[in-house]
Amino acid sequence: MNELELTGLATMRDCWITGGTTFDLAPAAWKEIAGGASPDERERRLLAIAAQALDVGLRPAAPKTLKRRPPLPRLRLPLLPERLRPPLRVALKNAADARRKSRVATLVASRGYVLHPLDWMPSASDQNSPDIYAPWIDWQASVEGLKIAPQEQLTVQNWDDFYPAARRIALAEMRRRDPATARSLLEAKAPSEPAEVRLALIELMHFGLTPDDAPFLKNLATDRSGKVQELAGRLLARLGEHGRTGDGGADDPVAELAAFIAEGKSGFIRRRTTYAPAKLKSPAQEKRRAELFETCNLVDLAARFGVSEADFIAAWQFGADNNADIQISRMVAASGSDAAVTQMADTLIAEGGKPALFVLHLTPRLDSRRKRVLVRLILKDTQYLSTLILAEGVEANWLEWADLTNGQSLAALRSAVAGNDDAMKRTVDGLLETMGFLVTAATAEKLVEHVVAAGMPPAAASLALLRLNAALTGPGPNT
Amino acid sequence: MEFDLKTIEALAPDQASLSAASKLTKRSNWPRLEKNEQQALIWGECQGSGSNPYRTVVDTGDHGYKCTCPSRKFPCKHTLALMWIAATAPTSFTSAESTPDWVNDWLGRRRKTTSQPADAKPGATGGVSGKSIGEAAQPEESAVEDAAAVERREAAQRKRAEDTRSAVAGALDELDQWIADQLRLGLSAFADASSERCRRIAARLVDMKATALAGRIDEIPARLMALRSEERPDAAIRELGKLVLLAKAWRSAPDDPELKRLVSASETRDQVLANPDAKQVDSQWEVIGEKIETRRDGLVSHSTWLLDLKSPTPQFALLLDFFPASAGRRSAAFTPGDRFDARLVFYPSRQPLRALVAERKGDVTSGAWPDFGLGTVKDPLAAHASHQDAAPWSTDCPLMLPAGAILLDERGAAWWQAAHDPQGIALPVAGTVDQTVLGLDLAATAALWNGARLDLLAAQSGFGRLDLS
Repeated sequence: MNELELTGLATMRDCWITGGTTFDLAPAAWKEIAGGASPDERERRLLAIAAQALDVGLRPAAPKTLKRRPPLPRLRLPLLPERLRPPLRVALKNAADARRKSRVATLVASRGYVLHPLDWMPSASDQNSPDIYAPWIDWQASVEGLKIAPQEQLTVQNWDDFYPAARRIALAEMRRRDPATARSLLEAKAPSEPAEVRLALIELMHFGLTPDDAPFLKNLATDRSGKVQELAGRLLARLGEHGRTGDGGADDPVAELAAFIAEGKSGFIRRRTTYAPAKLKSPAQEKRRAELFETCNLVDLAARFGVSEADFIAAWQFGADNNADIQISRMVAASGSDAAVTQMADTLIAEGGKPALFVLHLTPRLDSRRKRVLVRLILKDTQYLSTLILAEGVEANWLEWADLTNGQSLAALRSAVAGNDDAMKRTVDGLLETMGFLVTAATAEKLVEHVVAAGMPPAAASLALLRLNAALTGPGPNT
Repeated sequence: MEFDLKTIEALAPDQASLSAASKLTKRSNWPRLEKNEQQALIWGECQGSGSNPYRTVVDTGDHGYKCTCPSRKFPCKHTLALMWIAATAPTSFTSAESTPDWVNDWLGRRRKTTSQPADAKPGATGGVSGKSIGEAAQPEESAVEDAAAVERREAAQRKRAEDTRSAVAGALDELDQWIADQLRLGLSAFADASSERCRRIAARLVDMKATALAGRIDEIPARLMALRSEERPDAAIRELGKLVLLAKAWRSAPDDPELKRLVSASETRDQVLANPDAKQVDSQWEVIGEKIETRRDGLVSHSTWLLDLKSPTPQFALLLDFFPASAGRRSAAFTPGDRFDARLVFYPSRQPLRALVAERKGDVTSGAWPDFGLGTVKDPLAAHASHQDAAPWSTDCPLMLPAGAILLDERGAAWWQAAHDPQGIALPVAGTVDQTVLGLDLAATAALWNGARLDLLAAQSGFGRLDLS
């Protein structure tokens, strides 16, 4: 279109917007085509020409300020092969929440692949996804432009060059390798971070926690954030440091909690001390006890009774009050020393039966070997099979067929699949999803065959992760 | 497979269904018939009246079934025909080791119950239920018409065609007047009241047999509202101007099949297949995207866009189906990313796009798109311009865009921009874009351009194929 036509079109357009005839405003060439007809017909002809001019003659004007996001970084592992994307999508669709979706990504990563970014993308605040996704988490967090995480070691000088996820991963790795340097870095840089970021950073102190960390943690008692203060207190408690210096009076929470615990004696020949939950009189007392277990530390409670953490746990009477057992398990997980945690886990696992299930609360602090022992125990002792769903932080890709057949768990699964109990079927669905994460590819394949033969619909959604697992051949099982 | 004809007869909702099913038992209607005996399943794809085949699966154990057709009869004629073939010609089914995804999808969602036919009593053939499979299987007697009757029928057809033509001509006159009225009243007011005004003229056009045109006008308000208010007058000029052109074109050639299809009614599937002038393309196709839209007239339009993988330049095909919104969600015959070998027959047109799958030969493994010589493309809208030159009344045009990326303007709206021409053309993208796509380099992008917005379908990137529809 020439300049005259452009001007003419703009004038006609303005006229049509408000309403009216445009023939007199049209460019001469257009008038020639539209002329020789009734006024209405002339307008329609001009409208047709204008429509074509707008459609073909004019192009959208690009804004001057178009912004390009930085390119999505490539991850170190290859993308999941195209043929596996449909079963992956089914597994992701069946994963009910972000944690379970992350678990799918973890399983895939354990076989040496990463997901396609349009199938799954970790959120900017994700802390559960495998480390391999850190560049994507930081890419999500970047708004103005991506700073590529430097290859060199994290230092005070290059602290700001790292994005939060990459920094967290670098610090965690440094805490395992060189805890003192990592602590000095945190001492220097953590105070300038916002409370939420500070909390996540201080949490990393649990890697390689030693008494050398105590002075730094004690300094955090005056931190601006209550959550950071609380976390530091728990970490100190894990080191055996007494956080609460109460007067033992009625206002002292440790004393108040101790009042909920009855000290007794047992044994005829060798009398030994026992600690059992006192009988509660009201739901209000129950609620208060739960609050106290949550806020007090194990080391302080044990000291209140004049014993060590180990002696206190050894003397605790599991099985008397289910809620109290859960609460003390959580307390040990949060503030018990590493020795107390492993002692409790080993004692309960050795005891077997229902008390072993309280170890589930300790899983975030247990080493890989103990977690596996716990999972195998649950599978062997079929009675509490459903609790397997609660096991957190267990690695992917290691459970073998022999672990499933070492007990009655397969028979229990089979009978639940064949039965008509809907609640039981739902539990089986959850169990199969969990197993889909834990088992090796060969075991996944066998397990699918097994439950389908028992009557499970071959395309049941609960088999999605197992099917993906079976189809994912890559690195062998996690050993 | 455990079917006998008595069971089928008892399952059939009525005699008409049985008769209709009988006509579908020809092997040629079923490009795909498969079974999995372990799972007691048979399934097939039946080429119905739509452009997509209907997918039917039957559990031979408990007679559960599912068909993607919109029929409200249960079981539908396709299900009955599939059972019928299983009962009379079980060798027609090829054994499949695994079940396709759409069968798995149904299996995963179904609640297994053992449904026995309501009137499956021994010896209940015919009589009691009023249904007879024997009667349905009888070929229809072809009445021998005498010459006079044939002439009467043809004369009646001619009269009907003439009546339709004069009704449509009248409808277009009303449309012309309506357009002139909108220009007089102002396009600003038209954009604000387009819903009511378009509804009124669309209803008139339906009464006067310009049904297809009425459907298009009914969609104008939605197309305008998808744009920012300052863009609507230009969009209204484009929409109404194209209607003027279409009306003029129809008046000059009322028997032109493309114009008839756009103004009054479309040909049937059989008419298109029987048309010797219809373009046929035997090639490999990839499903690049689909659009499912509920229209104001209560129909759901389901568009499946295909890309010809063997063509040296980007060539597209559109499979278009309509079904009532009240029929509920239909499972699609294709999934974006599917590739298959097929012969397509295109509806006759100046720029053939709408097509039918005449023969589907089998699936093809996925991979990257051909190069298409996009590196030398100077104007990404060249295909649109040539489409408009041939058929200026057309709206959406499929494009294959060269290497580019999706960028955001200061309002947060997305734009596609060519990679090697950052100062050049940029096209605004319809709707919202997945944030992840903003970080990807797009080697090639398939999209629909409607003159104002780009509707993304699929793209190729360093991360492989991206489904954007």
